[in-house]
Amino acid sequence: MIAQPPPKADVIARRSEIVAGLQALLPASGVISEALRLKPYETDGLPAYRQIPLAVALPETTEQVAAVLAFCHKNGVRVIPRGAGTSLSGGALPMSDSVVVGLMRMNQILDIDYADRCATVQAGVTNIGITNAVAAEGFFYAPDPSSQLACMIGGNVGMNSGGAHCLKYGVTANNLLGLRIVTMQGEILDIGGQHLDAAGYDWLGLMTGSEGMLAMVTEVTVRILRAPEGQRAMLVAFDANETAGRAVDAIIGSGIIPVALEFMDRPAIHACEQFAHAGYPLDAEAMLIIEVEGSVAEQDDLLNRIAALCEPFHPLSLRVSQSVEESVAIWKGRKGAFGAVGRISPDYLCMDGTIPTGQLPFVLRRIGEMSDAYGLKVANIFHAGDGNLHPLIMFDANRPGSFEDAEKFGADILKLCVEVGGCLTGEHGVGVEKRELMTVQFTEIELNQQRRIKTAFDPDWLLNPSKVFPLVEPPQAADLPAAA
Amino acid sequence: MQTNFTVEQLADPNVQSSNQVLRTCVHCGFCTATCPTFVLLGDELDSPRGRIYLIKDMLESGRPATEEVVRHVDRCLSCLACMTTCPSGVHYMHLVDHARQYIEETYTRPWHERMLRNVLQMVLPRPALFRAAVLGARVARPVRRLIPRGSTLGDRVHAMLDLAPGKLPPSGSMQSPQVHKAEGARRGRVALLAGCAQTVLAPSINEATIRLLTRHGIEVVIARGVGCCGALTHHMGRHDPAMASARANIAGWTREIEGDGLDAILINTSGCGTTVKDYGFMFRAEPAEWAMKAERVSALAMDISEYLTTLNYAPTRPMPGLRVAYHAACSLQHGQRVLNEPKALLRKAGFTVVEPAEGHLCCGSAGTYNLVQPAIAGRLRERKLANIARTKPDLIAAGNIGCITQLSGDGTPVIHTVELLDWMAGGPAPAGLPQVATAVPA
Amino acid sequence: MSVALAPAHEGGVVEAILAARAAKEPLLVQGRGTKAGMLRPVQAARGLSTRNLTEISLYAPQELIISAGAGVSIPDLEAKLAEGGQGLIAEPPDLSALLGTEAGVQTLGGVVATNLSGPRRVAWGAMRDHVMGVRAVNGAGEVIRSGGRVLKNVTGLDLCKLLTGSYGTLAVITEVTLKVLPRAELTGSLLLPGLDAIRGVAALSSALGSPFGVSGAAWLPADAAERVPALAGRGAVALVRIEDFAKSVEYRLGRLAEGLAPFGAAALLNDEASGAAWRAIRDAVPLRAEPGDAVWRVSVRPSSGPATLATLESAGARGFLDWGGGLVWIAGPPALHERVTATALAGRGTWTLLRAPEPMRAAVDVVPPEAPALARITRRVKTAMDPAGILNPGRLYAGV
Repeated sequence: MIAQPPPKADVIARRSEIVAGLQALLPASGVISEALRLKPYETDGLPAYRQIPLAVALPETTEQVAAVLAFCHKNGVRVIPRGAGTSLSGGALPMSDSVVVGLMRMNQILDIDYADRCATVQAGVTNIGITNAVAAEGFFYAPDPSSQLACMIGGNVGMNSGGAHCLKYGVTANNLLGLRIVTMQGEILDIGGQHLDAAGYDWLGLMTGSEGMLAMVTEVTVRILRAPEGQRAMLVAFDANETAGRAVDAIIGSGIIPVALEFMDRPAIHACEQFAHAGYPLDAEAMLIIEVEGSVAEQDDLLNRIAALCEPFHPLSLRVSQSVEESVAIWKGRKGAFGAVGRISPDYLCMDGTIPTGQLPFVLRRIGEMSDAYGLKVANIFHAGDGNLHPLIMFDANRPGSFEDAEKFGADILKLCVEVGGCLTGEHGVGVEKRELMTVQFTEIELNQQRRIKTAFDPDWLLNPSKVFPLVEPPQAADLPAAA
Repeated sequence: MQTNFTVEQLADPNVQSSNQVLRTCVHCGFCTATCPTFVLLGDELDSPRGRIYLIKDMLESGRPATEEVVRHVDRCLSCLACMTTCPSGVHYMHLVDHARQYIEETYTRPWHERMLRNVLQMVLPRPALFRAAVLGARVARPVRRLIPRGSTLGDRVHAMLDLAPGKLPPSGSMQSPQVHKAEGARRGRVALLAGCAQTVLAPSINEATIRLLTRHGIEVVIARGVGCCGALTHHMGRHDPAMASARANIAGWTREIEGDGLDAILINTSGCGTTVKDYGFMFRAEPAEWAMKAERVSALAMDISEYLTTLNYAPTRPMPGLRVAYHAACSLQHGQRVLNEPKALLRKAGFTVVEPAEGHLCCGSAGTYNLVQPAIAGRLRERKLANIARTKPDLIAAGNIGCITQLSGDGTPVIHTVELLDWMAGGPAPAGLPQVATAVPA
Repeated sequence: MSVALAPAHEGGVVEAILAARAAKEPLLVQGRGTKAGMLRPVQAARGLSTRNLTEISLYAPQELIISAGAGVSIPDLEAKLAEGGQGLIAEPPDLSALLGTEAGVQTLGGVVATNLSGPRRVAWGAMRDHVMGVRAVNGAGEVIRSGGRVLKNVTGLDLCKLLTGSYGTLAVITEVTLKVLPRAELTGSLLLPGLDAIRGVAALSSALGSPFGVSGAAWLPADAAERVPALAGRGAVALVRIEDFAKSVEYRLGRLAEGLAPFGAAALLNDEASGAAWRAIRDAVPLRAEPGDAVWRVSVRPSSGPATLATLESAGARGFLDWGGGLVWIAGPPALHERVTATALAGRGTWTLLRAPEPMRAAVDVVPPEAPALARITRRVKTAMDPAGILNPGRLYAGV
């Protein structure tokens, strides 16, 4: 089990008093404190790590969030923000002395402004919920993490989520205009707005991807974009990972930026095909899903160019989607990939490193070797355009030692990613999962710099304190001159 | 997901099945998004993933069910939207069915709940009793204001009185056990599950089904000894009565299969269809002969829309110019994954078919859910009706009597798909159609 | 200024900062100093320039990545990228004419530190959206890196974004890694003459809300358009741009013109004219700023642009609209300052005092003051990165 900072004995001792305090601030169903009902909150999308919290609070308004945080601040209680609980890095893992503050009840769309192309929603609206709300007018919200059906926009901000289409449209940070946040002290602040590029420090940028350590996000203003005239996906199958990788280089090098460029290796193709029945090429070693946009003529033109670019690499097959249903099935397979691996293995760990795209063949070869050495199967899914690699390590949690092996294997993969010039996480966040690996990518000086910024927002380290940084005694407010 | 069952626990076929289900779950949380109760209540505990976790803990511990677990499992509609969403293929239905049975066996409900469940179990599957009860409700309606709302019990009594129809149609004679001959050359022979509550509330559905089939050259058998499918008690976790109902049906249909033969067993109430299609699983641990028979019945079971798709359905009346909002019953779209057939048939019949937003969300009917959880069911009904209203339909089509009852009474007529198909193929106009529409010439 | 260093290596930057820190003397941090006239002036005994950090350490066209020293000039960087058929995405403006500084020498570090973005910002993001990695030296003389050389990276707090637009007040950026994109094969623009600001912005909104990938949308009143040869002689103009493969540009301009028909007949600007017009808009050429005038950049939601401009014009200012109406360039007498800031805030927008006589810059807020709780965080973050407060003190906010 993952190491946690020592629980605060005084907080645990005052448990019933704290629960009563929360009950005074929220509607009756908004506080969960019975042991049995706390259990489902012990974990998120990474169920290998579990910890039952002190209590769960489910506020319905920003003001309630502020009241809960102010109360916890006053009482020295740690707070773990939670959205839909789909984090694959343990971002919502509780601590035994913490109150989990879940934003699932804040699921209202507050404002849609088509003329100014933006929408303001509460943090508990799902990612796809934004697109669904504006789709009738032909608009969409661009970042599309695979969990977009379930994951919530507040969590997307916390993790700076990406998705298959961020090669063209960018990640969460590139699609935000404003946030309403609540500091650990319970202050409600608006940053950004409905306009571009607020003057002053880029709080919007710093908050995005800060994994709930700086403040809690309760409302989000996002850019919405007009959907293209149409889009079409093409499946290209290759006989080796290496050739698929070279084809990717050729496409990007030619000046074409497809709206999505996804790579799957053989085990991933097979797992996803079972779920989606999309007609994936089962004979291939590697497959690319390439999507282009525009009018039918533009799509044809781009797909022809891309097909010609792939030609020198002798694709085994090349199939252009002929209908909307076919494209939907193709993406259903890709977006359900993680869960689909659940069909071929009882458990998996999903890694999320990023590598320079040119290093893909080398990295996949090394992962294959490690897979043999650990005796654990792995399926690789890769956002090929931007280098974000998702090896899915399959294991059996009911077999003693299997999880520990998978963890070690994962750590080795991530170290490899950093070695070749990449990073530990492209879109899932550090969470608790990759906390101790941060020293592979950063120096102690760099980590301390980041810690001091955390301290600037949250001097007592009460907000999601056990995430992102390797566990050491956090620098306290005393480290900073009395500027405040 | 990791599980912790002992070898002894795993000897129980139910635990074995649930263990497999749990092992398939990877805790990704996709299911939360399409779960009606999570969308409304915003609590992990009222989501499939939360329930799976609670059930896992309950089954692993082997302890009797507690009030907390029961509360959240009871709130589950069994709409199975989670199963459509789940990328890992978790068979939530089998898990929650097991949990309900476990709860029924280990937990003592408060007296009024026990009473309610006993009454429902006794009345709903028995058409004669059900008819009497509905008439009783009509009598009780004037005194409803004497029953206080606000308490669980009071709300449920109100829910029952609200749902009871103002008047009942005559029961007719077509639904009783008999053989309806095909018109012209016989092209096929099927059994039709006449059902229980449906025969009382809307005999017109079975009548339309029989007319439509015989007109297409299909002989329709209402098999002797076949009654309630068992879903009602099955979903209450009452194993023995559910198995008894299923066994009677299997016996009745087996006589026909082994007699003059059956091409299919048709169900026009999709809630029942889901259960009949699951008989094979329900009887997996029974003696081999019964397991085989159940398996065979399940293999022959089809929703009426699936079977009609194999016939050459064609309308004989001119296009009615009606806009039909198709309401996908959960049991049909999630339980049986029958998605396009009803819509395609309605379009073929000449209707303009529109699909409301949030089509994946349950309307709140869910068997007896609207009686035992009236508050949540009411919110789901309102949400569903609002989404339907936005499509500006002339009428609503659905393939499940539960949904039809739940969505009725809001001004827009709710009609079974098969009645609309029968009408356009020469049958009588369904009751409750908008005035203008009934003028469509034959 | 007693000491003004311009080291050629990062180590020199560290030394300069440590020395300033030891001496407890503030440091004026800049590149080529082309933006010294923006925001508040810095009172500093020492100077540190990054102009000599000119190494381009990595350019991987297939990975859409370039890493360059903070001192590399924007023209040099563009020239390097042109070799790979690529370019900077955010189209940073060269405001030397407006600021009275040397043209064509502004540095990468300067553009990043001021987060200056051009017309393409409305579609493709600001400078801050394309900074994938930075190396910088904080006020304690420590080298810190954030981000990296890959396009997707959420490892740790995003200091790239914090440093971008921080005007050298938190750390001295020594190297920047940018995401770049292929240059479009062709650009072309539609010009709609004779629309007032409200109708003009409605046309821009309609174009930006179309599926055709508009990458520039500006409205210029007649006198502003007169200052751009490619746009002159047609009165007020609304202008929208498409950049793509040649065939697509033709097709999309055609479809856009159809969609914009309610706003009148559109004239077509070819690649060359379109390029010239948008370069001029990028560099604020349409803005007539008299000597002694102040210049503000106001950012509001696009539909508030026309009212913002009208209010300020009636008070004696001049201006034009970019970013679909959301970026309001304003020039006018310094006395209008309060009027500008009040109007921007009334439109729930933000503003920057881009240019003003020095005494005014030292005396007034140059960006909107923050709410007290946020201002406290600003001071604490400043202290977290520059504990002694020696890096460009007061450049953004007095006392920070």
